[in-house]
Order: sequence, then structure tokens, then C-alpha cells
Amino acid sequence: MNAIEIRNLTKNFKEKQALCGLNMTVPVGAIYGFIGENGSGKSTTEKLICGLLAPSGGDIKLFGRAHTDADVRAKVGCLIEAPGCYPNYSVWNNMMLQAANLGIKNAEEEVAKVLKIVRMEGAASNKFKNCSLGMKQRIGIAMALLGNPNLLVLDEPINGLDADGMRIMREVLVDITKNYQCTVVISSHILGELEKIATHYGIVRGGKMIKEMTAEELDASCRTYIALQAKEMSRAKALLACKYNRVEEDEAGYIRVYDMTAPEDIVTYLYENGILISEIKTDKIGLEEYYIDLMKEKEGR
Amino acid sequence: MGNTQELKFESPSFFQRLRGMLGVDFYRLFHTPMFYIFLAIAALIPALIQGTSGMENPQTGEIAASLYSNGWNIIAADTPLYVVSQIGEYANMNMVYIFGGIMVSIFIGHDYRSGYVKQLFTTHAKKQDYMMSKTISCAFAMACMCITYLIGGVGAGLLTGAEFKGDTVSIICAIVGKIIMSFGWASLYTFLNVIFRRYFGISIASSFFFGTGILIIGAAAILGNNSILNIFLYGASVYACLSSTFVTVLVCLACSLAWTVIYNVLGTRILSKSDVY
Repeated sequence: MNAIEIRNLTKNFKEKQALCGLNMTVPVGAIYGFIGENGSGKSTTEKLICGLLAPSGGDIKLFGRAHTDADVRAKVGCLIEAPGCYPNYSVWNNMMLQAANLGIKNAEEEVAKVLKIVRMEGAASNKFKNCSLGMKQRIGIAMALLGNPNLLVLDEPINGLDADGMRIMREVLVDITKNYQCTVVISSHILGELEKIATHYGIVRGGKMIKEMTAEELDASCRTYIALQAKEMSRAKALLACKYNRVEEDEAGYIRVYDMTAPEDIVTYLYENGILISEIKTDKIGLEEYYIDLMKEKEGR
Repeated sequence: MGNTQELKFESPSFFQRLRGMLGVDFYRLFHTPMFYIFLAIAALIPALIQGTSGMENPQTGEIAASLYSNGWNIIAADTPLYVVSQIGEYANMNMVYIFGGIMVSIFIGHDYRSGYVKQLFTTHAKKQDYMMSKTISCAFAMACMCITYLIGGVGAGLLTGAEFKGDTVSIICAIVGKIIMSFGWASLYTFLNVIFRRYFGISIASSFFFGTGILIIGAAAILGNNSILNIFLYGASVYACLSSTFVTVLVCLACSLAWTVIYNVLGTRILSKSDVY
């Protein structure tokens, strides 16, 4: 069974078509990285999954049931943009209100438990408006975790967080999926962070899903390369370009030779042509570069 | 964070869902200064009206004409006067519905401005539960305002020596009728706030507009004091006057209930068919 199954989803906002026949499949237990440019339809899709928007067409199924079913909704926790909390109430009171909404019987115990998971137990008495952005996002996740959800939908939960905030958030999300077997859909522009935790990816563009794959498939699709710096960079690049198919200079000033795994061949080749290499390393393109390449490809650049 | 391999769906009953949402709404109501401010306003306004009517002007020594011939007129007119010819016929407990409308707009508007509706509608809560919960909590708040209005009006009347005369049963029926009407009005305001949920200013303005009963007053100008106007919220509210009987209470109950159902059904439909956030 899939946690989410979306078929031909469309959403129109007056004249604008935000989603045009989007398909999406999220297996149970996955951490699904949902990627796309601004305005590509990520947030709209997540709001539709969460029931905040009414679809113009198509079908959304959560755990095999209509996403509007009250019983299936009880199994979904959401954090869309920022948590919707009353700013003058304490974190604890906001959490207790959400627990009341969900009809949780042992509310105090549950609230304490989820605050501990997101490492916010020490800030329960703080007023929500006095919390930092990182704390607010973690409170949002804690709220989403109330009621033992089987699916978490998180829209940009790490945006605006500092390095430490991102690390904590990452650890929290991994902890949730490992220890509580919860499926997570997470959208973010910070692809480097997403790459560290996601098991599946969905890339959306112009309101359509253009690619869905597992982390293993991404890994297999990501090209390996050898990056080097030499004394005569332009001549080295020209020489390498004559011999190898894809040679580029990256933003950090390295020459990249793609689909190569044997650096000794390059070292020998350049040495024979009188060029000394000052630094050489083998690497693999990451999600970010894969994504950029894919976008370029779709744009026909 | 249940185990996905043992996924069990439990359908929370309507009462379970409503109880949870009502708990939140009543908690919010009692923990917001706005509620107490409106209770105070509801008490202060009739007290001011009672206190200032019939007061002596210290400079001229003239006594201002009293608005009311009977102290109970601060609650309701002697007979159902849909056509208003002077302010005293209008200035009674029906004013609570105007303040109440503003209070409901602020109360519901805050759900949208704070983004709290996201928390509500992403759970198992149904749109119907939301409409009912808001109607019940806001009706309760308006009923409380009716009571503080009564205390303020009668208290100030007693202090200023106003004459209270009339049949006790009729007066009680009028007060009960007005309180019952709170439900209908609360459902109207909830409905208006659902329609204008993205426009806080418009929702307050529309609540104020409908709360004044201007449409029914306008209709009464054409139809006269016609009892057919009792089918409307403002009409039934006016019908709860100092000559009320148990029938008046029943009319108020029927009108209030009917409009509560109508507005709840319409509001639920709008929320279900449109984007909530």
C-alpha cells in the first residue's frame, strides 16, 4: 500500500493553473523529498493533500482511502509553511489546544512526549510569539506529531533555520521515521539537507511531476567526475576537452572531467603535455546538480 | 507515529469531534480579554443610556426627555415595533446582536489571521463541526452579553430611579426570547465570517450591517408592523417584546433554530467546496 497516491491532480486559481495533471506515489515508510522551483506547485500539492485546498480535478488517496475521510485525516500530521498557533498563548497551551482538537485522551502525556521528540520540552512555558523561527518550526512538527500520525506532510520546515537548527531538524526527522515508522513528505529548497535524509524524491515543474525516483536511483543517475586544478588551467581544460567527452569548469575553479574514475590516466596525460596538477579528487554530482541539470534539460538548454 | 504496518482507522464520532473543537473554542473564549471587554461594553451601554436619559443639564437646568416610559424598555419595546420611529424604540437588547457580531468577527477572524485554521482543517475535523462549534461558542458569548446587558440596564435604571413596570412572565419571556435569538445571530455571523474569511475588515463591516437589522427595518417601512417579519432574525428579535408570551419564546426558538440550520448548512457547503486557507 502507498501512503500517498495522486492521479491527474489539477488545481486552478482563477485563470492560473497551478497543477496540471500531477501524479505522485509515496510508498509507506519513505522520506519523500519534494523538490521544485518557486511556483512549481509543491505547496499547492501539499495543501491539497492536507485538505486545505479543494482540488479542481483528479484523485488523492491516502493509505488507499479518499484524502477527505475523517478517519484517514486523523492519521495525517501537517506543517504547512509555519505552524498556526495563537501567538499570546504558551507553547504548552497551543499544544494542548491541538490535542483537544484531536480528541487525545492522555493529552498532557502526549504533548510532553512530542515536545521531547522535537527537543522543545524546556521551552513549553514560553509564549509562542517569543519563540525563534527554529523553535516555531519544531513546535509545528510537534503539533503535526500529536495523535500518532502515520503520515507527515512538511512544507519547507527547514527554510530560514541556522546550521544548528537544520541539524536538529534533520535528526528529529530521521528519528521519527526510524523509531516511529512514519512516512514523511518534505519539501525544501535546501537540497543538500534533503539529500541527507530522503529515501525517495519527486521533482515537480510547472505543476507536473517530471521525475520520481528512489535515493538509490538518484545515486545511480548521478555522474562521477574527477575535479582538478592545474597551473595552466585554460590549456589543461583545452587538452582534456580534446580527449574526454564532457569537460567543464565549475564555480569553485576546478576543471571537471565527467564519467571518469581513474585519476592516474589524467595525471599521466597532462604530465606528458607539460602540465603539472596541483590538486585532484574524485567526486559525484549531488542532488542539487542533478536537479539543475534536469531543469536545464527540460528547458532545452 | 503509529506503526504503518498495523494501520488501523478509527472513525471519531461526531460528538467526539465536536467536543474537542468546542473545548478549544471555549478555552479561547475564556482566555481572551476580548470576551470580557465585550461583556463590559454590553453592560456599560444600557447603563449609560439609562443614566443619561432624564438627566438634568447643569447649565440650563433643563431635564432631558426620557427615552423610555418604562425602565424595562431598555430590554425591549412594549409591542413588536419593526418600524422604528424614534431611537428609544431601537435602543434595547437588540443592540447586543450588533456588538456580538463584531465580537464574533474578531473571534473567528483570529483563526484565519493566526493561521490556526490550518491546524483545525488538517485534522479529522469536518467543516460541519467547525460551523457548529463556532455557532455554539459565539451564541454562548452573545447570551452572556445579553445577561450583562440586563444587569447593566436594570442596575443603572434602579440607581437613576427609573420606573420598572410590567408583567413578570412577559418580561422573562422577552429576555429568554432575546437570549434564544443569540443562536440564530451567531450562526449568521459565523456564516458571514466564513464567506469573508480572507477579508477581516469586510467580515466586521458585514456583521455590523446585518446586525443593525437595517434590511428588516427597511422592509417594515414598506410592509408596516407585519408579523411575517418574524421569520427573519431581526423580526423575531423585535417580536420578543414586553408583551411576550410563551408563544413568543416558541417563535424565537423556531426562527433561531431554522436560521442556525440554514446558515450552518450553507457555511459547511462553502467551506467544503472552496479553499479554506
